[in-house]
Amino acid sequence: MSEPIISAHKLTHIYSNKHGGTLQKVALSDVTLDIARGSCAAIIGITGSGKSTLVQHFNGLLKPTSGTVIVDGIDIGAKGADLHTLRQRIGMLFQFPESQLFERTIFADVAFGPRRMQLSRREIRERVLHALDMVGLPPHQFAQRSPFDLSGGQKRRVALAGVLAMSPKVLILDEPTVGLDAEGRAEFYSYLKRIQDEGVTIVLVSHDMAEVATLADRLFVLHNGLLVMQGEPRSLFSQSERLGQYGLATPPLSELLSLLRTHGMAIPAHAFTLDEAFAAISSLHKLTERGERHV
Amino acid sequence: MNEKPLIDFQEVSFSYPPLSNNQSNRAPIPVLQDISLSIKQGEYLALLGHNGSGKSTLARLCNALLVPAGGHVFVTGYDTAEQAHQRPIRDMIGMIFQNPDNQIIATVVEDDVAWALTMRGLPASLIRKRVEEAMQAVNIYHLRGLPPHKLSGGQRQRLAIAGILALRPRCIIADEATAQLDPLSRQEIIDLLHHLNQNYGLTIIHVTHLLEETVQAQRIVVLEQGRIVIDGRPADIFSNLSRLRQLKLTIPEPIELADRLRKTGFSISNEALTVEAIARELSQ
Repeated sequence: MSEPIISAHKLTHIYSNKHGGTLQKVALSDVTLDIARGSCAAIIGITGSGKSTLVQHFNGLLKPTSGTVIVDGIDIGAKGADLHTLRQRIGMLFQFPESQLFERTIFADVAFGPRRMQLSRREIRERVLHALDMVGLPPHQFAQRSPFDLSGGQKRRVALAGVLAMSPKVLILDEPTVGLDAEGRAEFYSYLKRIQDEGVTIVLVSHDMAEVATLADRLFVLHNGLLVMQGEPRSLFSQSERLGQYGLATPPLSELLSLLRTHGMAIPAHAFTLDEAFAAISSLHKLTERGERHV
Repeated sequence: MNEKPLIDFQEVSFSYPPLSNNQSNRAPIPVLQDISLSIKQGEYLALLGHNGSGKSTLARLCNALLVPAGGHVFVTGYDTAEQAHQRPIRDMIGMIFQNPDNQIIATVVEDDVAWALTMRGLPASLIRKRVEEAMQAVNIYHLRGLPPHKLSGGQRQRLAIAGILALRPRCIIADEATAQLDPLSRQEIIDLLHHLNQNYGLTIIHVTHLLEETVQAQRIVVLEQGRIVIDGRPADIFSNLSRLRQLKLTIPEPIELADRLRKTGFSISNEALTVEAIARELSQ
């Protein structure tokens, strides 16, 4: 594997009372993980499991209480770490990002970030146009319109373009499709795939398992601040009981397959997609038919 | 027996006024057109549609938060357009929204449940009784002394429901009430709505854009561009998946699988729509 772009080693974070009280909360405990360059990693876990605390280390909003986090070669806990540079490389899209839109035109809103990076006007313009293209809002149609006249899904894509215009190497998304309908979601996913194809590493915080199953190459499950499971979606979702212990539901199709297994049907553990499930059940059926004929 | 429907839409149309002054020459945008729909007491109805299909507008017409531009909406026979009827209609038809924080007012759970009753000046003993019953019905009695911000998203949504139950409504409208919840809390709220429907006879109108949330409803109404395009039982509606696909609705994968297996000769009934039901039929 090539050098990971994000690497956490024995990361512990304790929130403590700034006013000198003794109240402390261990939000992350001894978390070690690597995120490969160019991959799409999903951090999953119930509310309070430590997901947000973890990703806030990735762009230096938080520093480790102990342990290290190295992001694209920068040790974020080190004294004098260049967090300014880091934050330009790590784009972050919070929940309901459309509430952060504020400019009069879509162009101006997307240009807000790059303008603060001391780039030439030409460079800014190029970046804004490219970012709008990437999220499916052709500039000639949209650049001069007000961001507030758009649909919810389009507004969210403007916010995404604003982050992309900074040319981040890593894009962190916190529950990016909550509140979007099926069509809005499908569109948003297709743009995320394009962004990943351009070499951007994506870190997704989500509790929508169907979303995670479509997008992510690798899952990290947090529970009570501990990293309790990691692996490919396929292998994790075949362990629905264990996920259930951590308060997580598997996608409905995986749930159906695991129910069939408990009913005694021999569904292979690797079956994951609709086609695979269909093939597995059909072939079982043919086997029993043949068996009956031989009797 | 009272045969009158609980909520009756008669050829209803609705449009929002143009947004700002400089657009005043534009015609208003029609949101609902020619809606006739009758909802019976005790029904569990799922109202399905994309963002912008008009489903939230339709929901708000049910309890006089909006009144129709054309046609009439009657609730137990009373026209919602008449102001004198609006307060009792809103007590009868309660509503919860995506974000429960928008309707949580008080600083302690039990005070919040009591809020609307206190405003109506009911006697303290009656308020106490109703508040306790409402909290027990949604299983937040053990949280009654906490400030609402200490509750999880699902618990806050249950608190919003309790506030409505205390008014003894006949119907609850849940407008995308599960959209911001994690999958387990979402299932909890759906189960709670079914529980209230079955054990208290409450009419439920469950507004959603997710097909998977409608499988347990008694009736599904699909809105598309302000018109009703489908109205029927889940078993019938899910037997025509290509129609649902045309409407750009995402078919839940287990149902898609069952459909494909059925076409290759498996015997799975149309009624099997939940993961449990499909598994049971497949393993027989």
